[in-house]
Amino acid sequence: MTAPSQHLRNRCAIVGAGNSRLGQVPGVSSLDLLIEAMANALDDAGLKPSDIDGIVCRGPDDSYAHHQRIGERLGINAGFSTSLDNGGASQILSVALAVMAIDAGLAKTVICGYGRDAWSRTHKSEEARVKNQTRPDAQHDQEFGPEYGYFGAVAAHAFGAQRHMHEFRTTREQFAEIAIAFREHASKNPAAQIRKPLTLEEYFKARQIVSPFGLFDCSLRSDGAGAVIVTSAERARDLKTAPVMIRGFGSFNNLTGWFADENMIHTAAKQSGEAAYRMAGIAPGEVDTAQLYDCFTYMVLVQLEDYGFCAKGEGGGFVQSGALRLGGKLPTNTSGGQLSEAHVEGMLQIVEGVRQLRRDYPATRQVKDAEIALISGHGGNQVCHSTLILERGR
Amino acid sequence: MTEPARKPLPHPSPESTPFWDGARAQKLMLPRCNTCGLFWFPPSQRCRHCLSSDFAWRESAGMGRIYSFVVYHRVYHPGFENDVPYVVAIVELDEGPRLLSNIVGTAWEDIRCDMPVHVVFDDAGSGITIPKFALSDRR
Repeated sequence: MTAPSQHLRNRCAIVGAGNSRLGQVPGVSSLDLLIEAMANALDDAGLKPSDIDGIVCRGPDDSYAHHQRIGERLGINAGFSTSLDNGGASQILSVALAVMAIDAGLAKTVICGYGRDAWSRTHKSEEARVKNQTRPDAQHDQEFGPEYGYFGAVAAHAFGAQRHMHEFRTTREQFAEIAIAFREHASKNPAAQIRKPLTLEEYFKARQIVSPFGLFDCSLRSDGAGAVIVTSAERARDLKTAPVMIRGFGSFNNLTGWFADENMIHTAAKQSGEAAYRMAGIAPGEVDTAQLYDCFTYMVLVQLEDYGFCAKGEGGGFVQSGALRLGGKLPTNTSGGQLSEAHVEGMLQIVEGVRQLRRDYPATRQVKDAEIALISGHGGNQVCHSTLILERGR
Repeated sequence: MTEPARKPLPHPSPESTPFWDGARAQKLMLPRCNTCGLFWFPPSQRCRHCLSSDFAWRESAGMGRIYSFVVYHRVYHPGFENDVPYVVAIVELDEGPRLLSNIVGTAWEDIRCDMPVHVVFDDAGSGITIPKFALSDRR
C-alpha cells in the first residue's frame, strides 16, 4: 500500500461550516437546501460567493453534473469543480479533493456540501413510504434481490450485525446503547429532528424492521444539507473565523462487495483510518471526539473496532462502558448523528466536528478541551469509506 | 378480499439467463472458469478471479451454509404482505460463491449463522423458478 502524502498534513483548514433547516422541510428541493447550507457556511467564514473558486459536492442520486447547478446558483465560475459518486463516503472525499485541488494550485477556496430531501421523497405518497423510496427506481436491482424480498441498505447492514452477534456475542442491548447515547446528545441540540430521550424499554418495545434491527437501530429519513469551506492554512489565518486544521484524511473501498470475504465484519474503515492516522501522525488514543457515519447502530459499533478505539469483537463492551456519551472516553456523534439529529449522509458529521473543535457550544454540549476529531463516511453499496481527522487551529 | 399484490420477478440479463434457465430445470447453475477452475457469482462474462473469458456453466451441488441472515418484519413491497416475517440469507455454497436467497421451511427463530443448507426450487409462475434454501441435516 502506498503511504499517504504527509505534506498535506495541516496544509488546509476548514474556515466555515453551515447547515440548512433539518428534518421535515416540505416544499424545498435538496438543491435549495444545499444553497441554504452554503450561504450559512459563507456567512460563518465571512466570505462572499465571489471568494469561492472551487466546488466539490455530491448531487442527489438522480442529478447530473450537480456542481454546475450549484455554481449557477452561487453565480460563480470555478478553477476546479466536480460531483462525487461514493455515496455516504463522498462528503469527506469532497473535503479531501478540495485539499488536493488547493495543493495542486487549481483553486484557492473550495466549498463542499451535500443536501438531500429523503423525508419529502419518502412522504410524497403511500407507495413511496412503503417502498422507502430514497433513490430513483432505475437504480434498484433487477434480479438477485427483489425476488427474494431483499430491498437494500437496512438488510445489508443487518446481515453485518447478525454475523457480528454470531462471532462476538454482541447483543441488542449494546446496539441500544448507541441509539440511546446519540438521542441524549440530540436532546441538547435544538436543530435535531428527534429530541425526546429514548429508554432501553422503548428500544426493545419498538417494532422490528429487518431483524436484528428494530426501529431505533435505523437512521432517520431527513431533509437537510450541510456545507463547509476549505482554504489553505495561510489564507485561513486572514479570515474572521478560527480555522480548524485538516490534519489528515484517508479512504478505502472494498469494491469486491459487502458480501465478499469478511467485509461486513472488517470494514474498509480499517484501511481508511490507517491512512488517515498516518497522514495525521496520530494514534487512535489521541482522538477526543468521533463523528461516525451512523446509518445503523451496528455501523457505529464496527467502526469503533476498525478505527482501533477498541479491539475487534470488543465494540459491544466499549459502547456499554458509556464511552460514547458526553463526558465518556470518546464522545461520539455529539449532535445526535443520523440516528437522531438528521441523516444527511455524513455531511453533518463534518459540520459537527468543526463546531466541537472551535468549541462553539455551551458546556452541556461541548466536548471538553476538544483538540482532535475523527470523522467518518461510509456508503456506495456499503463498501466505500472515507476518514477525516481535524485539529483545533492555533 | 382483494388478491395480494404480485411479488417482483427477476429480470434476467443476457449474462444471467443461463442461471434462470437452469433454475427452471431444477438446477443451480454457476459460471466456472476453465482457466483457474474457480466459480463466481453473480454471473458476468469474465472470471472475477483471473479475468479469463474461457468459462462454462456448471451445476452446483446446491449445498452450503448460512453466512448471515435477516428477518424482514416490515413490508417494503405489497407482494410480501402475507410473507412477513420472512428470512433473507447470504448462503455460501460449497463451491465458493455467496448467493442471496431465502431460507424456507423453518421458523425464523430457529435459524442461526453457519447452519448447513441445501437448494430447493420455488416455482414463481410466469416461467420463473427461484432457487431458495432449506436447512440440511448434514454435519
